Amino acid sequence: MITVSGLIEALLWGVADGCIYILLATGLNLIFGVMKLVNFAHGQLLMIGAYIAFTVTTALGLNAYLAILVAMGAVAVIGVGLERFTFRRVLGTDKLNEIFVSLGLIYVFENAAVLLWGNTTHQIASPFQGLLSLGQISIDYNRLLAILVVIVILIALFLLLKKTKIGLAMRATSQKSNASMLMGVNIEKVYILTFALGAALAGAAGALYGIIFNFNPTIGALPTIKAFAIIIIGGLGSIPGAVVGGLLYGIAENTAVYFLGGIWRDAIAFTLLIIVLVIRPTGIFGEKGE
Amino acid sequence: MNRTLVNSLGSIKRELVNFSRSQKFYFVLVAMAIMAITPLFVSDYVVGEVLTPIIIFALYASSWNLLASSGQGSLGHAAFLGIGGFASALLAVKSGIPPIVGLFLGSLLSATIGLLIGLACVRLKAWFLAMVTFGFSVIIVTIFSQFDDFTGAVMGFRTPLIVERGVPFYYMTFAFAVISIFIMYLIMKSKLGLAFRAIHQNEVEAKMIGINTGKYRLIAFVISTFFAGLAGGLYAQSIRYIQVSIFDPYYSFLPLMMAVIGGLGTIEGPIIGSAIIVTIDRYLPGIDSVLQGFLHPLFPSVSNVGPPLRMLGLGLFLLVVVIFAPKGVAPLIRKAYKYLRSSLKEEKT
Repeated sequence: MITVSGLIEALLWGVADGCIYILLATGLNLIFGVMKLVNFAHGQLLMIGAYIAFTVTTALGLNAYLAILVAMGAVAVIGVGLERFTFRRVLGTDKLNEIFVSLGLIYVFENAAVLLWGNTTHQIASPFQGLLSLGQISIDYNRLLAILVVIVILIALFLLLKKTKIGLAMRATSQKSNASMLMGVNIEKVYILTFALGAALAGAAGALYGIIFNFNPTIGALPTIKAFAIIIIGGLGSIPGAVVGGLLYGIAENTAVYFLGGIWRDAIAFTLLIIVLVIRPTGIFGEKGE
Repeated sequence: MNRTLVNSLGSIKRELVNFSRSQKFYFVLVAMAIMAITPLFVSDYVVGEVLTPIIIFALYASSWNLLASSGQGSLGHAAFLGIGGFASALLAVKSGIPPIVGLFLGSLLSATIGLLIGLACVRLKAWFLAMVTFGFSVIIVTIFSQFDDFTGAVMGFRTPLIVERGVPFYYMTFAFAVISIFIMYLIMKSKLGLAFRAIHQNEVEAKMIGINTGKYRLIAFVISTFFAGLAGGLYAQSIRYIQVSIFDPYYSFLPLMMAVIGGLGTIEGPIIGSAIIVTIDRYLPGIDSVLQGFLHPLFPSVSNVGPPLRMLGLGLFLLVVVIFAPKGVAPLIRKAYKYLRSSLKEEKT
């Protein structure tokens, strides 16, 4: 049965799911824009973020939405370590090396999570349970809150990039790293900060993911690919593009599930990805490809 | 195209002559002789569960390595392993053709699909190509599961055999692998391989000196997926059973690990990598119970610490190799050999 209210509901839920992917895609895009580096293990940072939020909510009894901040901080620290000890060492060598390093990191993170938290499925307990009903349309409170949290984070990110000195340095580095180095920008510092920021966004995405969905140590791979699909729709390195792409993607996924059935949820990401790449390798909104 | 082909054939002939005169040739002969007589001295378990997988995965990793030598790092090679495995087994089961014909037809089908995916990939940069290939390997699982009535993918089915399992099967895979890897060696040494390496090093410059990069990248894709399909057909026979789990990302990452750990872009790299990883995979579980004994208090939420700990170690190993020895283990072995030889010579004089 396809009804108007059903379709609107699919759209609304799609926006909420899209929000989580927007955070991940923005982080990836930020790192790519500034460092010209692709971190395929970004989804694993999301997974670690979900586990950290889960641990602080269960062990310390912290509110799930405050745990987002803890997850962001902890994953940012992990991000600094990653940049310093792995990616920096292969930056500027063969592009394939970045893929190999990411793959090694995927193995390390997934199995470290299995060792630390076990192979079972968890979900973060949220203080706000239940559905908000508006006539025939309903949406749960956690998804609504997720939309709000993402809006707040994106505004903060926007202010950081546009209004602060370090944001200026990041934007300058993303445009031309050599020139900004000559202007006295400490590139290495900018790289570390960018990676930490991208990782923090992934950590926030992970905490939100853990509140809305079940998670286990292997959930990281799919969000990475979905974030990639979003980046490709929105254009490489463009943060507004990632936001638009994320919303479009979340809506496409949920309407596809609505019309075709649940098993297409994940295949739709790749179908979209491949179609867009074949037709327009630079993305729909992308100006020029790297 | 014709001129390139004639040129390639000419360079292959030259390479054959050079190869038969070189020192490497004797090395390869000795190594092959050792591989050929080993089954006479070891148990059937070792032949079936260690040596045969080493050979099959050496072939699979070599096919991945050939593609990577043209700068295209696939993260979804399991799709082609699986297509080769399923197609060859299904053809033999459903239409009753001999399994050996099915094996070739399955590889050809894999190469055909590789051509189509390659067409989508030729314009893509390293990371997008990785994503598209990975994505394809996930889509194909959905497709195979959707048409389960025909493919029998979810429950799996028994594969028809070409020859008896054990020692005869070992010799058959050995023959297939030697021929295939030798063909890949000739390709890598020919003008074709030179073009691949040029594209890998700098695509823009390769274009500037007149290499049709799109065409060569496509050729690499087709050759690579053909051999991946062949490896898949052999693998399906070696485990006697095929199931949708053959498309697991694990099987996509395996050839990458093997090739990178062994030595990317070399011919011996994937073989060494396959030997290392398969051996670890078969023999390290032996210490699982010991590990479980003293690590369980540290990690109480896992019922068996062995498998995740091993995978973690594999990931760290890959990181260490990529960061500290980006050329893999093969050059180290070569260096050790040269050192040994020079010190022996010194002793003689």
